Amino acid sequence: MAGVREALDRRRGRPGGRLAGAVRWVGAGLFVAVVLALVWSLLAGAEPAFARDGLRFLWGGSLDRTGTAYGAGPFVVGTLLTTAVALLLAVPVGIGTAAMLSELAPRWLAGPLSILVDLIAAVPSIVVGLFGLLVLSPLFGRDVGPFLKELPLLGRLFGGTLEGGSSVLLAGVILAVMILPTMVALTRTAFAGVARADREAALALGATRWQVVRGAVIPGARSGIRAAFTLSVGRAVGEAIAVALVIGNRPAVPHSLLAPGATLGSYVVTQFSEAAQGLPRARIVGLVVVLLVLTALVNGAGALLLRKRTTAGGTP
Amino acid sequence: MTLAAPLFTDEAAEARRRLVRGSALRTLGRRRLRGRIATALCALALVLALAPLAALLGYTAYRGLGSLSVAFFVHTATPPGIPGGGIADAIVGTLVIVALAVLAAVPLGLAVALLLVDRPGRVAGVIRFAADVLTGIPSIALGIFAYAVVVRPMGGFSGLAGSVALAVLMVPIVIRADEEAMAAVPTDLREAGLALGAPRSRVLRSVVLRGAVPGLVTGNLLALARAVGETAPVLFVIGVGAFGSRVGWNPLHPLAAMPVDIYENGTAAFPAQQAGAWGTALVLLLFVLLLSVTARIVAARLNRKAR
Repeated sequence: MAGVREALDRRRGRPGGRLAGAVRWVGAGLFVAVVLALVWSLLAGAEPAFARDGLRFLWGGSLDRTGTAYGAGPFVVGTLLTTAVALLLAVPVGIGTAAMLSELAPRWLAGPLSILVDLIAAVPSIVVGLFGLLVLSPLFGRDVGPFLKELPLLGRLFGGTLEGGSSVLLAGVILAVMILPTMVALTRTAFAGVARADREAALALGATRWQVVRGAVIPGARSGIRAAFTLSVGRAVGEAIAVALVIGNRPAVPHSLLAPGATLGSYVVTQFSEAAQGLPRARIVGLVVVLLVLTALVNGAGALLLRKRTTAGGTP
Repeated sequence: MTLAAPLFTDEAAEARRRLVRGSALRTLGRRRLRGRIATALCALALVLALAPLAALLGYTAYRGLGSLSVAFFVHTATPPGIPGGGIADAIVGTLVIVALAVLAAVPLGLAVALLLVDRPGRVAGVIRFAADVLTGIPSIALGIFAYAVVVRPMGGFSGLAGSVALAVLMVPIVIRADEEAMAAVPTDLREAGLALGAPRSRVLRSVVLRGAVPGLVTGNLLALARAVGETAPVLFVIGVGAFGSRVGWNPLHPLAAMPVDIYENGTAAFPAQQAGAWGTALVLLLFVLLLSVTARIVAARLNRKAR
């Protein structure tokens, strides 16, 4: 016994083990310090903008003499609009794709295809943006835009004069592609969490395969789908580069879906380097702060939904 | 209660069964049809989901292959209008910037993850919260951060500033991935190690860490793949000017990078520059896909072994 105790003491006292422990604590401290520094540096950078305009900065939108918008208003509107378009496209397609891959398609087909869907997430946003700028934008300006304008009823959404393809609509389409893998992956996770017994109960009642999906799987996964939705919103709101390439970056509230606009992220991408030191740059950093608040709200809601789901055990 | 008794007779049960079966059969055709329509719609959704990927990969390959040549990899850009030129500076710049970011993020992420695995509790909660916050921060904010803490104090653009931004981007991904990989090591093994009298640090090193290696490799490769393709964090901080730049290795100087190259050439008006952007996009895409496919293969190997 004494020997064991001695050996234990010797091991515990070994400098290697203690050093490794210290390194971990230093690492953790460094990490938390970086996060705090990040938040602090953004707040400090944006301080002059908020000091001058106060909370009006959040929704103000008129132009000052230098032609720089001093409020986040138009950009918040642009961000919400593009995100809404993206969700309108990506949510039904995402749920349908997830249902196909998880429930309806034969396994030999679903395996490889789900790898492909995951692969979309790996494509750098700059490449998606390049495709949007050089391929889709001319296409939208020439064919898609005029076509949408002619639509009965819906055409009203696409009113006004057509100014090339760069538009809120195109930005939404690009965003839809980019959030789709998130939507599909999280929806599939939610589907996988539905109890086998629920499906079997539906089958025992004589349900067809689709009725199982419609009546048991989708309702059972509802909270998970809601979380998938929220986290997709978070991604769409924060994406900057791809949107900057296709939205036209006009700092004004767009009058139609086919008009150019700007999102918080896209405007920062295009204007940060141009903005002069001092107030103009502080305003750009202020837009980042607004963006940060927006994503924090969305992601917080998403995290809450995910947590609720895990504690509730997957049943609604 | 005269009603309750007949419910349990065979005839009543049989009648009910017949009723259910009859209505099920009667509606079966309709239900099958509805199911077939819904399945077709879901299949359409799947096609719609995959079409952009096919278009993107196909078109990038189609446009990019035209500009690929040996010269494209070994030369730097020529001024607009002059044919030839390549992206050697951008490739080297990306490698230097990302390598430095990896050198910072991988050990830091591992250290934090070890702490999370080893000492769950309030501290772990705080760190996990910080990691979640950082994961949710749009990558554009990291560029602004690097500008404030590296570019301004140093008085100029540098590859290092890009590395700092990318490292901050990678750390939360690495932490999450490392923690998951280590949590996947069976508790039995851990307890067996402890039962042998090994101290916690030894178990952590020889059992948990070693058992988690494939998962660690996968997670870190995916984080790397993510960092290589990011534009927003490095755009403002590594310096600009795609043409005329020499191949630079010194991270304290401005460096070029492939994503920034694509951004600048893609938004340029000259068709030759746009062609160059497609070439760079193809190289970047292949590089990123190679990384993420490798990561997936490692993960698949791991799963097979576990089974």
